[in-house]
Amino acid sequence: MAFNFNWSPLTADAGFYKRARDLLTTALNKSPKPPIIVDDIIVTEFNLGSVPPDLEILEIGDLAEDRFRGIFKMCYSGDAFLTLKTRVQANPLNTYLSGKPAFTSPQPLAAASSLTIPLQITLSEIKLSAFIILVFSKQKGLTIVFRNDPLESLKVSSTFDSIQFVRDYLQRTIEGKLRDLMMDELPAIIHRLSLQLWCPDQMAKEDEEPKEADEHGVNPLATPPLDAVDAHGRLLDPAAISELSLDGGPEAQLLFSQKTLYRLCGLTTSQVTSSLDTSGPRDVLFRAWAGLSDKADAAGTPPLSTPNLVRSPSYTNAHTYTFSDSGSQDHGSLPSRPSLMHLNSATAGLSLGSGRHSKTGRKKKTRVVNLRRKVESEVGSERGDESSETASVAAPMSEPAMPHPILEVPEEDPLSSKVRFSRSADLQQQSRRPSIRSEAPKAPEVQLQAAEATGSSAATQFPTQLSEKKGSQEVAKGTASVDSKADWRRSGPMSDTSSVILEQAWIMKMAGEIARRVYDEKKRNPSFWDDRDDTPPPAYEAR
Amino acid sequence: MREFMHYITDAFYSASGWNEDNTYKELNATARELIDFPLPRGLRLNLSSLATPHFATSYQLSSVGIVDGSISYLHSTVPLTGIAAQSDRIPLPALLRSYRRLHDLGSRARQWDVGPGDAQAETTVPAVANTEQSPASRGGTLLYGRLYLPRSLLEGLVVRRLTPSLQVQLSAVSERSLRNGGTLLGLVQYDRGKYGVEGLASTDGGLLGIRGLYNFGGDASLPSASSAGGPANAENHGNGQSVEKERIYGRFSAGGEVYYGTLNKSGGMSLGARFATLPAHRGTPLTATLTINPLMGNINATYAVLAKDYCSLATRMEFNVYSYESDWAVGMELWSNRRPAGFLLGADPNSQPESDLEPPRKKERSFQAKMEWRLDDPEPEPRIPKPEEGPAGKEEYRGVLKARLDQNLRVGLLWEGRIKSLIFSLGTGVDLRKLGEPFRSLGLEIQYSS
Repeated sequence: MAFNFNWSPLTADAGFYKRARDLLTTALNKSPKPPIIVDDIIVTEFNLGSVPPDLEILEIGDLAEDRFRGIFKMCYSGDAFLTLKTRVQANPLNTYLSGKPAFTSPQPLAAASSLTIPLQITLSEIKLSAFIILVFSKQKGLTIVFRNDPLESLKVSSTFDSIQFVRDYLQRTIEGKLRDLMMDELPAIIHRLSLQLWCPDQMAKEDEEPKEADEHGVNPLATPPLDAVDAHGRLLDPAAISELSLDGGPEAQLLFSQKTLYRLCGLTTSQVTSSLDTSGPRDVLFRAWAGLSDKADAAGTPPLSTPNLVRSPSYTNAHTYTFSDSGSQDHGSLPSRPSLMHLNSATAGLSLGSGRHSKTGRKKKTRVVNLRRKVESEVGSERGDESSETASVAAPMSEPAMPHPILEVPEEDPLSSKVRFSRSADLQQQSRRPSIRSEAPKAPEVQLQAAEATGSSAATQFPTQLSEKKGSQEVAKGTASVDSKADWRRSGPMSDTSSVILEQAWIMKMAGEIARRVYDEKKRNPSFWDDRDDTPPPAYEAR
Repeated sequence: MREFMHYITDAFYSASGWNEDNTYKELNATARELIDFPLPRGLRLNLSSLATPHFATSYQLSSVGIVDGSISYLHSTVPLTGIAAQSDRIPLPALLRSYRRLHDLGSRARQWDVGPGDAQAETTVPAVANTEQSPASRGGTLLYGRLYLPRSLLEGLVVRRLTPSLQVQLSAVSERSLRNGGTLLGLVQYDRGKYGVEGLASTDGGLLGIRGLYNFGGDASLPSASSAGGPANAENHGNGQSVEKERIYGRFSAGGEVYYGTLNKSGGMSLGARFATLPAHRGTPLTATLTINPLMGNINATYAVLAKDYCSLATRMEFNVYSYESDWAVGMELWSNRRPAGFLLGADPNSQPESDLEPPRKKERSFQAKMEWRLDDPEPEPRIPKPEEGPAGKEEYRGVLKARLDQNLRVGLLWEGRIKSLIFSLGTGVDLRKLGEPFRSLGLEIQYSS
């Protein structure tokens, strides 16, 4: 087995250094600056150099084409450098007086007059040695955690090298700041950079996700609707696919191309404006698979507004009460979705299943995701109806048992599943589009509404649902045969990934925790930790 | 506005015959006070009292978003009998004046010049001080303490006069947030009139410093100047130096300061010179200073002039030869003898000084003059009492408007005066660069003392 680490290609990207500089600049100006620095710190030059760091692999926990987890020992003494520009107060007496009580100030007449000097600081000859826990997945980007304080030594050269006091001060201050930067900021910066590189569409979600997780934990009501609509699609699909040969078709839809997501966005916003004209839907077709089919059936009968109302309650209901109802034919497509999920979870194992459920609950909140999911779930649901009478039974049990899943786990799953299926999705989409387009332009709109509105009345629900179900079944059958093959191929890896991801998340958590503790401890009594730094922790020595 | 305790401390110095201006630290005090006057922020109330000639208290309550305050006590072994502590009697220039006239060099013979036009009004104080001079200057001690309440910050000051020319000051601040819980500053001041030397040591950073001022020219060059004592000395100048009065008559001072932080191995220094006219000078009083910081390349020049009795102006220019940074600022002080509202309403017919003038104007031609078809003999002109002219001048000024403008087009406006027995100070900072929301700060300070 061989690894190929490319050092220079990272820097070949023209925008890389600029982005890195911006990120560093904001990171450096975040914390309050010492009085000697009287201006913002601006990173003017940043170069990773040509000498790559020495990496020693201590442990590889996970390895696949699109993901990697390992522990390294890294030693770096290369030619990377960093140049900062700022303005400093060159008069030591001036900085001495700042922040001191005026009452006991010696009140110098002019000896404390300020002299601000533009300063360039170059950090070079950076020597690092650290144990790094590196986790990479195409979906989550790159995560690096330092297990110890990585900074061994560093040369600070500045305009003031000739003045002993200022030089010492700068060296001290910058080393301290850099340590903080390495331990706290750098992992975040690298993560953000990697997200930009590999999965730019993740960037927006990054911010939202934590909030969602919190809300879910607090608010049980929020979860059920979400599960029914969105999370479903993402979380369950991989597992579902592996389990059921039937599901192959719907998977493909899971893939969200950026384009479609944008379109959906446009669509939703057009709704917000309350303009009656929603011209967009025609192009957005594939989103509406289920909806389209429904529409086709019911196109003449219900006005647009009614379907929306009807749908939204049905989704929510499906989750809350309905796992028990799933068997019943009234709900049609909707109940079938939950059943699918449960099937997967049940087969995978209790713990996995519980984890999934929780995830699905959280994920639902994003609107885009929801729309997607519906399509999938609806399509799959028809299939589910037939096969999932049994599945539906499993569902009610798992749900109540694990109302609050572990937060960390769920976040990972959706991401991984999403990326994986992209290829198949494209194929499927292409095949389906022509047929659907003609049917119902307005379907996507309906679905959007449904996802958003949770509390609407359920009275009108049943008739429309029935019609929907019929339509969706038709569509699903057409596509099912094509999709199923693709599904089978992937099903094997999928089931494994779920457990791996769980593990991964846990390890990352632990690693972060350990690193923080070590760092804190070290800060508290540096002498105690000094001697230990050089030798690797016992866990790694054997290997 | 000078705080009441500051005013009392000044009174202590004058009562004990110490010339606090004869130090390098106060070299450019005039320009500094004309330009860098502090603007009040928020609302602040001061209640002060000189309960006995030896004891003063002051309570302060301020509200800038949060309410906080301070309690301060002061004890002086020298009886402060000569000063007016009641806020309706305190001479405003003593509290508000910016332009500082030179004092006579003999520390014993110091005349407490309160400001424009109040020289005579204040002569009572030195007179009192002079009588008790010998005991006071031997063992004068001042104890001062101030506790800022919500912050738990404690300030303490001890001033001890060891010999007529030697004084020791010890000031301390205690607060939890400070390193080592507080700092202590010791100051030894030695004033020989012709020169004054100060040595200081601070526990913060182990800072050591020495600064000195040497006077020459003008009265300092006269051997009699330092030997002659008291107001008589001033008279002496007035008469004996009549020739000098025609020319610019003033005193040169030059000095320097050096600091060194023993713990952080850093230091600083500066050199300075000043020319200021003496009170005996008949022309426009002016003060010009130049300070140089050779280490940092900073040159600072100020020029302050007492253009009229009611108007003083100051400019300051700064330039750094290393960084080419420059700065300028101008300041102005305008005294008014109108009622405080007069600034807004224009001339006030009810203003007291004018009512004083009424009777002479309305005086009719005397019967005899009418009979003789002629005007009255020109009376001795009842001139408008100038500030210089005796105790009447003390009540002359009722308010002062201070303004400053600096390079960044920031304007500071301060209007201080007396309403009944309250002394108020209303100030605002205006930023002309941001006309959208020009007012940077607004504050009102009210002081009452008894």
